[in-house]
Amino acid sequence: MRRAFLKRVADMIRNEADTTFFTVDIGMWAIRDVLAEFPDRCTNVGIYEDGMISIAAGMARRGLAPTIFGIQPYLIERTLEQIKMDLAYQKLGVNIVGTGAAVDYPKYGYSHYCAEDLHVIKAIPGCEFIAPGSAKQFIQLFNSTYRDGHPTFFRVSDHPNSKYDPDVEFNKAVVMQKGSKATVIAVSIMLDDVMEVCKNLDVTVLYYTTLEPFDRETLSKYYNDGKILIVEPQFEGSLTFDVIKTFEGKPVMVEEVAFPREIFRNYGTYEEKMQYYGLTKENIKLKLEKLIGAEYGCLQK
Amino acid sequence: MKQISKELRKHALYLSHKCQDGNLQSVFSCLDIVWVLYDKIMNWSPETARDDNRDFFIISKGQATLALYPVLIEKGYFTMDEIAPEIGNFNSRYCIQTDLTKFDGGIENNAGSLGHGLPFATGIANANKIKKSSSNVYVLCGDGEFCEGTMWESCIFASAKKLDNLCVIIDDNNSVGAMVDMGDMKQKLETFNFDVRVVDGHDTEEIEKVFNQLKTMKNGKPKAVIAKTVRGFGSKTMTEHDIWFHKSPNAEELELLSKEVELA
Repeated sequence: MRRAFLKRVADMIRNEADTTFFTVDIGMWAIRDVLAEFPDRCTNVGIYEDGMISIAAGMARRGLAPTIFGIQPYLIERTLEQIKMDLAYQKLGVNIVGTGAAVDYPKYGYSHYCAEDLHVIKAIPGCEFIAPGSAKQFIQLFNSTYRDGHPTFFRVSDHPNSKYDPDVEFNKAVVMQKGSKATVIAVSIMLDDVMEVCKNLDVTVLYYTTLEPFDRETLSKYYNDGKILIVEPQFEGSLTFDVIKTFEGKPVMVEEVAFPREIFRNYGTYEEKMQYYGLTKENIKLKLEKLIGAEYGCLQK
Repeated sequence: MKQISKELRKHALYLSHKCQDGNLQSVFSCLDIVWVLYDKIMNWSPETARDDNRDFFIISKGQATLALYPVLIEKGYFTMDEIAPEIGNFNSRYCIQTDLTKFDGGIENNAGSLGHGLPFATGIANANKIKKSSSNVYVLCGDGEFCEGTMWESCIFASAKKLDNLCVIIDDNNSVGAMVDMGDMKQKLETFNFDVRVVDGHDTEEIEKVFNQLKTMKNGKPKAVIAKTVRGFGSKTMTEHDIWFHKSPNAEELELLSKEVELA
């Protein structure tokens, strides 16, 4: 996904004179030619995400289409007020592309973990948040949003889906299958696992790559007694508000397979983390069975 | 004090009175600088306020945004009659700190929190270079604001990108002195490869001369003007009583302070 993005950047800089790209000291090797050829518009600026967001906002104010590349927690959490004031408040469009999704740097500790990214960005109205599940989907979503005038955040994962790779559109969930016992919201890189579990079950599976705004319209068509399982590679609860608002006035029973809201103090491998926090096929199956069998008022934990 | 400096201050007092808010000490310390920029230096007029090659004025020290309306009134872009009755009201587009999304020209950025205007201005200046535009960017900062890390991040970028179309103005009213010892700002900025000048921020002729000089220096170095100013300048009461850092005048105080300004 990262490679596809940087290739797209190189094409963009070469062919679109009003685009700019600034990296906060990562990914240079892949784009070394354009860095050398277009130093005005394609730069390794150094390590200062806060200022970079505001500088990019200034460039957007002058009609350019800036894209920034960095590491997710630094791009989102360190810079939060710059996002609020200079991008959202001023309604300026900048693309912020972050590597280091959730626990993609599993041995580095809490500084590099960012399961809270979506939750943080959803607190600032006007931002868009996109979590593609494959390189192809990244390109589809980037191409449809990079000039849309909004601050748009892209979460670039190192663990894309390998089996299921549907075409996607911005702010449009993909209906992977229709069923009646429950509705499963599969987010981004969780699609393969969700489909492995659900492919022979009588449940609806909706695949989401645009997480803010959230496509309520599609979800609203698959109420399924309000039994909703959210499978998301991010903090639990990141989409709960959207689900509840979708079915406003109706009861919903939400189960989640997601990272718990805690500081992760463990290391190891990506796989170990996914296992430890229950982002697994087994847990998806377990939660789904529990949800399907549950009646209102007696959902067993 | 020149008559225009008095008029600008009286406008600011009146607007602060009308909306019952504002940071007048800070406004009074920078009004003369903002006036000189709009009246003598910038490629800007009410007729060209939306032109692509206009010069930009960015307020980074957001607490002084109330200095902008008096200047734009005197330049004929707004009228007092349109601003005063509604400033700060629920549905007004005029507030204590500006919101550019409510304007089509005249207002160039949203201010409020510190450490935003300078990097934003730096981005505009960089875009001007990319677009090969002749537009210059003037950004008004506070001396205290330079405690913010983004200010220095902007200096790194401006220097690396050789933004000689960027002029950073520091309204040095000794705010930071009450907090920390910032040392020699001129030397610090020169270390960042800025062309730096120090002026009396209330001497409009000196300010004009220095800005004009810097404007011609297209040497790949960003510019900085450290303007030595006095908080509340033009009102004895305001210079002596720091309560006016954040206080708006009632009717009686408006009359008193306006008289003080007139006699200054």
